[in-house]
Amino acid sequence: MKRIKRRAMLKGTLFGGTVAIGLPMLDAMLPVSGAAQTGTAPKRIVFWFTANGTRQDIWSPPANMDLNGHPLHAAMAPFSNKLIFLDGVDQSVTYDSIGDGHQTGMACMLTNAEILPGNLFCEGNCDAGNEQYVGWGGGQSVDQYIADEIAKDAVTKFKSLELGVQVKSSSIWSRMVYSAPDQPVPPREDPNQNFQDFFSDIDSDPFALRLIQRRRKSVLDAVMEEHAAFQSRLGYDDKQKLDKHLQSIRDLETRLAVTTNFGEACSSPELSLPGGTFQQNDMYPVTGKAQMDMLVMALACDLTRVASLQWSRSVSGVRFNWVPQTLDEGHHGLSHYDDSNANAKADLREINKWYSDQFAYLLGLMDGVQEGENTLLDNTVVVWVNELGKGNNHTRRDMPFILAGGCQGYFKTGQHIDFGGEPHGKLLVSLTHAMNKPVSTFGVPQYSQGPLSGLAL
Amino acid sequence: MLAQGIKFCLPLAATLLVGCTGSIGGDGASAIDDSIAKSLCVVDTPIRRLTRFEYNRTVRDLLGDSSNPADLLPPEEEVAGFNNQAAALTSSDLLIEQYMNVAEGVSTRAVGNIEALLPNCDPELDGNESCASSFIQDFGKRAFRRPLLQSEAERFKAVFDWALADADLGRFEDGIQLVIETMLQSPSFLYRPELGEQTPIEGDIVPFTSWEMATKLSYMLWNTMPDNALFAAAEADELQTKEQIAAQARRMLEDDKARDLVRNFHTQWLQLTHLDSLTKDSGVYPNYDNSLRGLWKEEIQTFVEQVILEGDGSLRTLLTANYSFMNEELASFYGDDVLDSISGPELRQVQLQPERRAGLLTSAGLMASHANVNQSSPVFRGKFVREQLMCNTLPLPPNDLVIEPPELDPTKTTKEQFEEIGANPACAGCHTLMNPIGFIFEHYDGIGQWRDQQNGKPIDATGQVVQTDDIDGDYDGAPELARALADSTQVQECVSSQWFRFAYNRTVTSEDSCSIEQLNDVFRASDFNIKSLLVALTQTNAFLYRRAVELEPDAPGGAQ
Repeated sequence: MKRIKRRAMLKGTLFGGTVAIGLPMLDAMLPVSGAAQTGTAPKRIVFWFTANGTRQDIWSPPANMDLNGHPLHAAMAPFSNKLIFLDGVDQSVTYDSIGDGHQTGMACMLTNAEILPGNLFCEGNCDAGNEQYVGWGGGQSVDQYIADEIAKDAVTKFKSLELGVQVKSSSIWSRMVYSAPDQPVPPREDPNQNFQDFFSDIDSDPFALRLIQRRRKSVLDAVMEEHAAFQSRLGYDDKQKLDKHLQSIRDLETRLAVTTNFGEACSSPELSLPGGTFQQNDMYPVTGKAQMDMLVMALACDLTRVASLQWSRSVSGVRFNWVPQTLDEGHHGLSHYDDSNANAKADLREINKWYSDQFAYLLGLMDGVQEGENTLLDNTVVVWVNELGKGNNHTRRDMPFILAGGCQGYFKTGQHIDFGGEPHGKLLVSLTHAMNKPVSTFGVPQYSQGPLSGLAL
Repeated sequence: MLAQGIKFCLPLAATLLVGCTGSIGGDGASAIDDSIAKSLCVVDTPIRRLTRFEYNRTVRDLLGDSSNPADLLPPEEEVAGFNNQAAALTSSDLLIEQYMNVAEGVSTRAVGNIEALLPNCDPELDGNESCASSFIQDFGKRAFRRPLLQSEAERFKAVFDWALADADLGRFEDGIQLVIETMLQSPSFLYRPELGEQTPIEGDIVPFTSWEMATKLSYMLWNTMPDNALFAAAEADELQTKEQIAAQARRMLEDDKARDLVRNFHTQWLQLTHLDSLTKDSGVYPNYDNSLRGLWKEEIQTFVEQVILEGDGSLRTLLTANYSFMNEELASFYGDDVLDSISGPELRQVQLQPERRAGLLTSAGLMASHANVNQSSPVFRGKFVREQLMCNTLPLPPNDLVIEPPELDPTKTTKEQFEEIGANPACAGCHTLMNPIGFIFEHYDGIGQWRDQQNGKPIDATGQVVQTDDIDGDYDGAPELARALADSTQVQECVSSQWFRFAYNRTVTSEDSCSIEQLNDVFRASDFNIKSLLVALTQTNAFLYRRAVELEPDAPGGAQ
């Protein structure tokens, strides 16, 4: 078995404590992970969300793709040959859907489906007579579709991992991942807890690990019996609701049994994590970095092959006190100034530049993990999405989509394409093809007739 | 409005008044047996799971665990202004996984003090088997809020036995820990099933069992599990008549746990969580300090708690009182508005200048949270009054509209700037509903401090209120507006419907018209006493009955 000599380390500071995550020897791990048939590392897909649109006027790369000196993306210059910038792709379905700009931008982004009718989300009250408002998103999101398909071939500890940075609330404005229509998936926001949930059983005493698994199985088996008995007494609608709960317990039990496969492959991260502060505005960068570090480690350990990292939420009000700002306002407020306001434009440039810096940090981590001849980044496609094109007019046209990583040679990277108004559903179709789980349409067929042309090699 | 519903419900509303004041007709005649159509206004609520707030208080009361372990769970969906709406509380893989983590933490802490769990049984003396069985029965009844079925008791005993037989566990504590862990992940703990009695009393209408009623009451009025008195009443099947239920409700509102209800409701209704992440421009507001946020919140919470639970309880007082609760630091922030001198860190009642401050709306917390970082916001304040107090639903800004908030102009007042915006025909349609109400609050700056002038010009706190049911007109200053709001039927009925949504965990449907009518009648007759409204919420058909559970045709009815 081939062994990787270099042992990459993720280093940094987390809540005042030192972080040193030793990256695993992935090749060594493969034979037990179920992905070994091909002898190569698996493909992965990661969605990366930032809010409130961008500076569309300065977003595009230069023709030669040299990002050095770019007002937003300079930090991504080292990876420019691994990127694709997509101009001229519209979230067309959002203009058919009920709901406001942020709602549709968010809920249709990964589903390409119209929002469901309902009286859940309205400002103020939703009582009888005020039912013109909306329900949850109306389709499964593409990441969950891909995750379900992958799960048919290989069981990983997590079917998918949804990470969030200060998403906080739960509403149509803050959910982009849907396991099914009307079924939003919340992200994991607490880095301390994530560390526990992801890595606690790596390198832990196999004896203690087996005991934990045995205990949990015994408890969950009894809980499932309780559910079956309980449900038999319920009416139809309530039973439907509880069915999903029961299915989640079944899935949990299946996943818990997987952990032993990776006991030796992944090394134990060294983290010192004081809790409780990760939701404070000024902890946003630190929390985000912790989530990125753990996301990359989780991918490298093959804990999952489908992941997302959601920075805040649509209508994000984060205050970027750590970047140069002229106007003392939250992101959403700033995004609403008229195009003629130079101060607001400068502030938005700095905010979106900061997000590009973070994106570059993630790409750097991923590109530092060697997997055979390729890097983790090469084996992955990272998809940068946003619920809007631009904040002050809520446009969902000309969305600022960026793809990073070739997904094992599927994508023709190092290019900038202007699609001139293609619907974004076709991008979602392209992603299913890239991940070897191809569909011909995704969500509303009218807006997803096949993959976008020119993306694939 | 359904005229038919109102017509049929009026006689019941009259009965209800008697029940709620408790002063007349106390012969205990069974309200449940009365002949008023019980089939009216029965609207079933979907099965609901505990919110994080409820879970935390439940394990506090069940096990003495005050660590707020449910804070780990994903946040609830926020719908219709509240996070406890049954239709929206969805489940997710992450939630289920964290239920497991939370249950493991709680059960580990619980068996750390095993003696407290088994006050009447010593495994050394009485034997493991006997103590385990009695624990499962006693603890299970409190965890599930009803006696365990025989099959359930056997299932938990099997879990206990499994632990004792496991080579690596084997201790009595291990068995108890696993039983607790299992119970805390069981649907009977996590959800509040309200299936009703087997036998309909009219058509397909069934009342609830006394155990279910105990749970309904405790989660509605305390946001936690029943106490011993409620359990005793359930055991004796004494939660069947309207009088029995009203008597419990009145007792419960005198208990300290009602503070959780009042605080939880007002945190959400008044959007107090906005205060947690508030920031202000220190250049514009040198008097601002982040430590004020907690004080502002506590001032409001203490005020509503005192008025509702210990004071006269009236909505009018909430909206117009010329007193509040402050400590030295807060009083110094309010300056001349406070008439009493106060020292020390404790919050105490102080009198306020009545021409400057009136009730909740003029509190610094609400004024600051409905403002921008560097200026007051007539839009936010007007919107807040419209939506939260008048139950208006304002249309969303049009798609693809470029919104331009005014920039700070040192030559103009905030009002002058916003008047320009409001005059724009594209905005006027909606902003004439909000901005003029906001102007009436212009004496309070962006951190809620009183001001007589801005940018060298005197404050103009006049505004014209339009398109309301009953308070259209010109107002000068917030105290005047607050008195009008307190006397407005629209506001009174709005507050009543806010409590309806929060208490019943659902929005008002068109079938609820007679319940709404009853509640409004009681509220009015009690001179808008919140406690009376809360008791009345336990007396509607919507609370007392449900339609019999419709099982699928092939499902084994009542099997278990």
